[in-house]
Amino acid sequence: MSEAVLLDDEVLKIDNLSMHFGGLKAVDQLSFTIKEKEIFGLIGPNGAGKTTVFNCITQFYKPTAGNVVFRNNKGEVQSLIGVKVHDIIRKGLVRTFQNVELIPELSLIDNVMVGAHIEFKAGLVSQFLKLPGARREEKAIREKAERALAFMGIGDLKDQLAGGQPYGVRKKVEIARTLMCDPKLIILDEPAAGLNDTETLQLADNIRKIRDEYNCTILLVEHDMRLVMSICDRICAISFGKFLACGTPAEIQANAQVQEAYLGEKEAEAEKDMKEEKSPLEKIKDNLLGKEN
Amino acid sequence: MDKKQNKAAAFFKSKYFGYIIFGALLSLLPLATQAGVLKTSMIGIVGGTIIYSIVAQGLNINLGFAGLTSLGTAGFMGLGAYISAFLTENMGWAWEASLIVSIVICVLLGLVVGLISLRVEGLYLGIITLCIAEIFRKTFEELDPITGGYAGKKASFPTIFFGGWKLNQAQNYVLLAIIMVIMMILTYNLVHGQIGRALHAMRGSTSAAQAMGISLFKYRLMAFALSTGYAALGGVLYVHFFRFAYPSTWTLTLSLNIVAMVVIGGSRTIFGPFLGAVIVYSLQDLVIKRIPVIGDLNGISYIISGVLIILVVMFYPKGVINFFSQIKEKAGKSKAAAPAAVPAAQTESGKEENADE
Amino acid sequence: MATFFQLFLRSFETGAIYGLATLGIIIVFRTNALVNFAQGVMGMFGAYVITFAYSKGVPIVAAILIGVVAAIALGFVVDFCIIRRTKKVSGAGKEIITLGLMMVILGLVPIIFGVEPLKLGKVIADGSFTVFGANISYNSVLNIFFGIGITVLLFFLIQKSKLGLAIRSTASNEKTAKLMGVPTALVTLFAWAVAVVLGSLSGAMVAPATSVSINLMDSVQVCAFIACVLGGFQTFYGPVIAAYIIAIANNMLSYYVSSVWGTQILYIIIMVFIVFKPVGMFGKRTIKKV
Repeated sequence: MSEAVLLDDEVLKIDNLSMHFGGLKAVDQLSFTIKEKEIFGLIGPNGAGKTTVFNCITQFYKPTAGNVVFRNNKGEVQSLIGVKVHDIIRKGLVRTFQNVELIPELSLIDNVMVGAHIEFKAGLVSQFLKLPGARREEKAIREKAERALAFMGIGDLKDQLAGGQPYGVRKKVEIARTLMCDPKLIILDEPAAGLNDTETLQLADNIRKIRDEYNCTILLVEHDMRLVMSICDRICAISFGKFLACGTPAEIQANAQVQEAYLGEKEAEAEKDMKEEKSPLEKIKDNLLGKEN
Repeated sequence: MDKKQNKAAAFFKSKYFGYIIFGALLSLLPLATQAGVLKTSMIGIVGGTIIYSIVAQGLNINLGFAGLTSLGTAGFMGLGAYISAFLTENMGWAWEASLIVSIVICVLLGLVVGLISLRVEGLYLGIITLCIAEIFRKTFEELDPITGGYAGKKASFPTIFFGGWKLNQAQNYVLLAIIMVIMMILTYNLVHGQIGRALHAMRGSTSAAQAMGISLFKYRLMAFALSTGYAALGGVLYVHFFRFAYPSTWTLTLSLNIVAMVVIGGSRTIFGPFLGAVIVYSLQDLVIKRIPVIGDLNGISYIISGVLIILVVMFYPKGVINFFSQIKEKAGKSKAAAPAAVPAAQTESGKEENADE
Repeated sequence: MATFFQLFLRSFETGAIYGLATLGIIIVFRTNALVNFAQGVMGMFGAYVITFAYSKGVPIVAAILIGVVAAIALGFVVDFCIIRRTKKVSGAGKEIITLGLMMVILGLVPIIFGVEPLKLGKVIADGSFTVFGANISYNSVLNIFFGIGITVLLFFLIQKSKLGLAIRSTASNEKTAKLMGVPTALVTLFAWAVAVVLGSLSGAMVAPATSVSINLMDSVQVCAFIACVLGGFQTFYGPVIAAYIIAIANNMLSYYVSSVWGTQILYIIIMVFIVFKPVGMFGKRTIKKV
C-alpha cells in the first residue's frame, strides 16, 4: 500500500484501487485525485463500476488492492482502508444512496436529524431521563436540521412524514441529511436520477450552493450528462472499472476514448430497444410476472 | 411567571400527563374491589397485565424498533424473578437492592448473549435466544438451592423503603402501576431521542444507518440489552406480586405470548404493548374462559393469539392500537394529511419540543 | 470401549433425528429466506397424526403413511394460505408469522388429539444384535439408515434433478428464477411440504423413546437450529453434518461429563465457537450489495 500523502489542495486520492468479485474486475487499478472545494464528477457507461468505487471509498466494500487517502475534517491526512463503515462519517465524509434511503415512519426533520447522529454526546441514561444536557442537545440539533431543510427549500414540510413524500422531496431530504455532520466531502450517488428537468436545474443550483456555503467538496456519480457537464469542475470517466480520462468537462467531451465507450453503449442500447420492440409478447409477459411479485 | 405557566400548560398537553392519568385510573382498581364493585381476583389479573405490559414494552424496543426477533424473554424474566426471590428470601436483602442487582445481572448476561448472536446480521438472535431460554429452563429445574427446582420458589410482597414499609397486595398493585407509568415515560423519552432515531434508521436501511455513523452492532446490542433489563424488572415484579415462581412458567410459550402482545397491540407505540397484554393475557381469563363450549377447549386462547399475530402482521401491521388513532382521526382532531398512528405521535413530540423553548 | 461404540451408534440414531429436522429448517430458509420457528411444532403435529392413527389400531407403517399425507397437507395449507400472501411482509415480519403459526398449532393439537400424552410403538417392535460389544436394536439400525437414506435422496434430488435445479435457483435469487420461468410458487409449495414431512418423520423417530405431547419436538428443534447456526445457513449439507456432530457430542458429554448439564455445556461450547467463526463451519461471508 502506498503512503498516505496528499498535496496541500487535495482532499481525496484514489490510488491504484482495485475491487474484484470472484473473477470479475469491477474496478481495476483506478486512480484519481479530488481537490478541495471542487465539484468532481465520476462518469461511465452502465456497469462501469462507479457505485463500486463509492462503496470502496466509504468502506462498504473492502477493496482488493489500492489505497484511498483522505484529508479529514481535522486536516489530518489518512488512509480510509480498514476504517469501520460507521466511522467514515466521523472523518467528514458522507454519502447518499442511489435508491433514496429514508425512514418512512419518521417526519422529514427527524430523518434529517439522523444525519447528526455522531454529534450527540448524551448517553443512554441522560436520554432515558431526558436530562437538561440531552434536551439542550436535541434542541440545538433540531434547529440545525430546520436550517438544513430550509436551505434545501423544503423547510415548511418539516413535520410531514417521509413516507408519503414525492421522490423529488425525498432526494432533497437525503441531501439535507448529509449537511448535518458538517462534511468535508459529500458523495452523491446519482442525485438527478428520477428528477424532472426543473428539479434537475434546482439540484444543480443546490449543489453549487452547498459547496459555497457549507465549504465542502462534492463527488458525484451521475447519468444526466447535462448536469455533469454544467456543474462539474473536473470529471473522471471510467469504463469497465478502468480509467479512461480525467479533465474539465470540455476535455472529457472531446476525448475520443470516452466517446467510444459511450457510443458503444448507445449502440448496444439501441439494439436492446430493437429487440424489445420485436417481441412485445415478451414485454407483456415480463410485466405480468413483475406484477405477481 | 409567564414561562412557568407555559411550562405547566405544556405538561398538561404532553404525553407524560396522559401516562400519569392512565396510571392513576388503574390505581383506582383496589378501591373498586373494596367497594365490592369488582371481584378481588381482578387485582391479580390486572396486576399481571401490568407486569407483562412492562416486559412487552422492553421487547418492543428490540422487536418493534430494532426489528430483531428474540425468543428468550421468558428466560430472562424467570432469571430476574429467581435472583430477586433468592436475594430477599435467602439472603435477607432489601427489595430495592435485589431489584437493582437482579436487573444488572440480567442486563450483563443479555450483553453476553447479544455479543455472541449479533455478530452476523440480526438473523441469529432469535435462534441463540431460543437456546439460551432452553439452558435457563433446565437450570431453573436443576439448580435446587436457588430456584427450588420443580417445587418452585416462594417470595413475599415487597417491603419498600429498605425495610420500612411492608406492602399488602393492593399496595403492591399500586406500586406496579407507578412503575409502569415510569417505564412508559422513560421509554417515550428514549424512542423519541437520538437512540430511537438510530433504531428506526437501522430497521429501515442498514447501509444508510451505517453511512450516518450508526454502529449496527452497538445499537442492536443496546436494544437487546435494554429488553432483557425490562424483562428482568418484570420478573422481579412478578415474583413479589404472585409470590411464587415455577420453572414451568418461564417457557417458550410465555416468550411467544409476549411477542404476541407487542405485535397485536401495536409495535413502536407506548400503549400498544399494554393493549396487547390486555388482549393476550386478561381477555383469556375474563372473557374467553367464560364463553360456553369454546371456553372449555384447552388452548383456544393460544389459537386466538396466534391467528391474531398472523392477521396483524399480514393486514394491519400497526396493531390494534391503530383502531384508536383511526377513530381519533375520524373525530376530526387532526387536520394534517398525516395518516394513522405514527404521524400523530410525531407531531405531538414536535409540539412538546417547541414548548420547551 | 464397548460403551463408547454403543454411544457412537446411538448418536447416529439421534443424528438422523436432528438431521431430518435440520433439513426441514434449511429447505424453507433457502427457498423462502425465512427462519421457520414453527418447524418443531409442525413436526410435532405430524407425529401426533401418526401416533393417533397408531393408537386407533392402524399398523405402524400405514400410520406413518397417513402422517406423511397429513404433513404434506399441512405444508400446502401453510404455504397457500399464509406464506404466499406475505410477499410484501419484511423478513422479521415473516418470522413473527411463523411464531403465530406455532401458537396456532400448539393450541390446535390438544383440541384435536386430546390432552393425554399418547404412546407410539417402534416400526420394528423388538430384537437387537451385538457388534463389537455394542448392543443395538433393529429399530435403531432402521432409523440410522432411514435418516441417512432420506438425506442422501434429498441431496440427490437437489443436485441432479430438474426440480432440484429449480430449488437451487429459487434459493439463490427468487426474482431472477421467476423471470427465467422457474415455477417458484411450486418450489416453495414443495419446500414447505417437504419440511413438514421431514419434521414429522423426525418426530416419529423420537416418539417411541418418550410419550407424545406438545413438547415432543422442543429439544429436537433447539438442536436443529443450533445445527443450522453451527453448519452455516448457506449450504444444504453444512447443517446436516453439524446435526450429526451435535448428536455425537451431546451423547458423549451427557454420558462422560454430566447427564444434567451435558447439553447446556454443549450449547455454550457451540456459542463460543460462533463468536470466533460467526458464519459457521461451512459458511462463507457474503458481500452485501449496497
